[in-house]
Amino acid sequence: MGSTSEKYAAFKEKVRRTVYFDNLSPQVTESVLRTALEQFAIVKTVKFIPNYIGPSNLPQCALVELDSVKKAEEVILMIRQYPFMMSGMPRPVRARHAEEEMFDDRPIDPDRKIQCTWLDPSDPDFEVAMELKRLACKHAAEISFMHRLQLLEEEKLAQQQTETLKVHYKKFKMIEDITMDGTARRLAREYDMRITDE
Amino acid sequence: MVDGGGEDELEFKWGIKGKLGGKKKDVQFYESFRYDGVDYKRYDSVYLYKEGEPEPYIGKIIKIWENADSKTKKVKVLWFFRPCEILNFLEGIETLENELFLAYGDGLGLANISPLEAISGKCNVVCIAKDSRNPQVSDEELQNAEFVFSRFFDVGKRNILDRIDDDKIADIEVKNIFNNLDSQKAVGVVKLDLDKNEGSGKVTTSNEVMGLLSQKNSQPVMGKANGKGLAALVRENVESRPPFGEKPISRNGVIEASKSGDKTMPQAKLKGNGISNASLVKKKSSTKLLDGSNDCGMTRITKTNDKHGNISGEKTPLSSKVDSEKGECKIVGKINKGSVEVKTGKEKSGENLKRDLQNRRLVSNAGDMNKISPPPSKFDSEKGGCKAGNLVRKINKGSIDEKREKQKCGDSNLQSRRLVSNDDAKKIATSSSKDEYKLQRAKDFCDGEDIPSKKLKLDHKPMNLSDDKLRKKSTDSLTLEQKLTQCAKEVTRRPDTDRSRWFKGFPWEERMKTAYEQGTLVLLKNLDPSLTSGELEDIIWNGFNESCTAKVVQRTAFSSPHSGQAFVIFKKRDAAELVAKKLDEGCFLMSNGRPLVGSIERPCFPEKKPIFYGHHVVDQHRTHMQREMKDAVSTSHCSQPNNIEYEMALEWCLLQERADKAWSRLFKQQEEELRKVKAKMKSK
Repeated sequence: MGSTSEKYAAFKEKVRRTVYFDNLSPQVTESVLRTALEQFAIVKTVKFIPNYIGPSNLPQCALVELDSVKKAEEVILMIRQYPFMMSGMPRPVRARHAEEEMFDDRPIDPDRKIQCTWLDPSDPDFEVAMELKRLACKHAAEISFMHRLQLLEEEKLAQQQTETLKVHYKKFKMIEDITMDGTARRLAREYDMRITDE
Repeated sequence: MVDGGGEDELEFKWGIKGKLGGKKKDVQFYESFRYDGVDYKRYDSVYLYKEGEPEPYIGKIIKIWENADSKTKKVKVLWFFRPCEILNFLEGIETLENELFLAYGDGLGLANISPLEAISGKCNVVCIAKDSRNPQVSDEELQNAEFVFSRFFDVGKRNILDRIDDDKIADIEVKNIFNNLDSQKAVGVVKLDLDKNEGSGKVTTSNEVMGLLSQKNSQPVMGKANGKGLAALVRENVESRPPFGEKPISRNGVIEASKSGDKTMPQAKLKGNGISNASLVKKKSSTKLLDGSNDCGMTRITKTNDKHGNISGEKTPLSSKVDSEKGECKIVGKINKGSVEVKTGKEKSGENLKRDLQNRRLVSNAGDMNKISPPPSKFDSEKGGCKAGNLVRKINKGSIDEKREKQKCGDSNLQSRRLVSNDDAKKIATSSSKDEYKLQRAKDFCDGEDIPSKKLKLDHKPMNLSDDKLRKKSTDSLTLEQKLTQCAKEVTRRPDTDRSRWFKGFPWEERMKTAYEQGTLVLLKNLDPSLTSGELEDIIWNGFNESCTAKVVQRTAFSSPHSGQAFVIFKKRDAAELVAKKLDEGCFLMSNGRPLVGSIERPCFPEKKPIFYGHHVVDQHRTHMQREMKDAVSTSHCSQPNNIEYEMALEWCLLQERADKAWSRLFKQQEEELRKVKAKMKSK
């Protein structure tokens, strides 16, 4: 038992120095994450959390284990303060503290005892339990609906930003064009304005 | 190799003597010895420690002797190679993690003579060669094995051989390198008292093994009854047997009565509970019944153990004095699935036993019992005292091997006396030798299984229950199953947790995909989010008596904090469907009053090209902003508040914040709903 609890304690420690990232683009790979974070801390392990449940186009999530708890705190704080770009712009990634449940290989809590039993259909609680089951299904459905909703929102924002960008691009392009073809200078002369680059 | 410096401190004792050898007949060969509390015998696999080597060498003892003049003890060891030792010759051959290669051929490195004291411990090596000469081992045994080997390394030609057709390796009969002896050894390890039998011991572990043992090698390893089987037997006895005299003779074990006329002394050997076995083992008794019975009945046994523990003690004395003339073995055995083997030249008792002795592997399926019911006779033990009434034994899946030797009963009496003193099985179990006992049991289990299982199709699960804890648990599950009561059971470890060892390496995603296609994948919902995959497997085992591989769905920022989900892969489609159906119709309540929800669903597999919103690609590079963007792609960076990227990033942050709020509201609401419903529960 001694070793089990030690293992468990070690695991808890690991959780504390691990940072959970999400909103990662599918192009983000382990090496991208490593290079990105090695500016701030030593990256020990990187693990992506596979998504088997939700809509398949949810952003990627990953667990990054750093070398110390302090570094983990710093990285989280920093990424919270400044939008942090990884493999693309402008959607920033998000960092949070990792939680135990995010790990699939977590050890068993040695202190915990689980109990389970089959409920007899005649048990007065049977109906309640059935209701709980229904509720669980409903909640799961709600969550997946939320996922879809969120994706819709994201899509909307992304589209809107694409529009904005296009407009900006057009604007810049126009400016560039008139600068290049002499229109700007001509107009400046016309209106007696001075234009210099600086 | 280490010199035998430590010899003085370490316990050492020779076991069975072999022939004399050497030019001047000054070399005494042995078949077994005991060193530092461990019994070794020929053909055991052992670790040899060499100073400076990070890992001990592994080899098989093929000869043991002592030089009379120098009094030095030597062993000749046939080497196993670890893959890393012969890396250069593997040439891309895939090896298992714990695979070894046995030395073969002629040349350096085949075998060496080492001081006996270089042996640092036993090593459990199982041969998995698909060779007809090699009895295959069960999965369980495989799992217990520290190493496996199936291939050979020719030290002369320096290449790997998948099989060998020779009859001998290093002058050793090839059969000795295969499993039989190994498995026997496993049993042997445990028995500490072997030393007592001088030379006499002949042991048969099981039918198959028997053949192989030559007189010399045969070790006094005999009993391998499983504790449990026996225990179950005991119980039977109790039920069916009329009370007998003072001492309950029923041993779980097997009694054998062999009796034969003049030359053989009647010896009965019982194999009592595991415990008694251990001690019995030492006997050299002529007859031996081996009950290789593994029985699934373990759980039952557990219950009965305490009560009947005492029984075992008694019998032995009886056995020694069986009056065979009258042929009265009164064994009314119910042998379920037993294989009885009698190897006595003349057996008188044979008649009594209405068994098909000739069939060595008589496999009777449960339910059909060979009853041996000679007229009840009485065993007179020297000490007298005990009369055995009818023994009604039930040997579950036992294989009884009777072998007659001439021996001194005296010895066995001794032992038996000893046995007697341990009345209480329980006590024994807790005694210092507990570990060994356990170990032995575990091993017995495997061994026994090895043989009968091929024919008997023993149920796998119970077999795994080789340790106390497990045993307990299976009890639990049994009860659970029986009653599906409301009394909550504590979930304990399921028996075959180690199974994964051989499956490791398949990516989960692949397995899940296959499982989904085969319909063996079940999605469980409403789990306590803190449950781990292992715990979940235990729960499934407890609730459904199905073994499975589970993997909890890892939480992300968007998972419900109230309930977790997990994918579970079952072995068979039926099992998966049954579980889903049971979960749908019934209520399987876990801690905190959470009913488990399960259904067969399609998991979401990652797409080749998932869409990701929020990263824009602009293909012109000329403008300032775009140049910046392009650079940014290659470097992860923090955005500074002086450009449009920052502005947009903030929009994303805003959206994220809103989403977070929405999620937390949703979760709160769900929690509320859950709370309300749970409040309706009466019992919790």
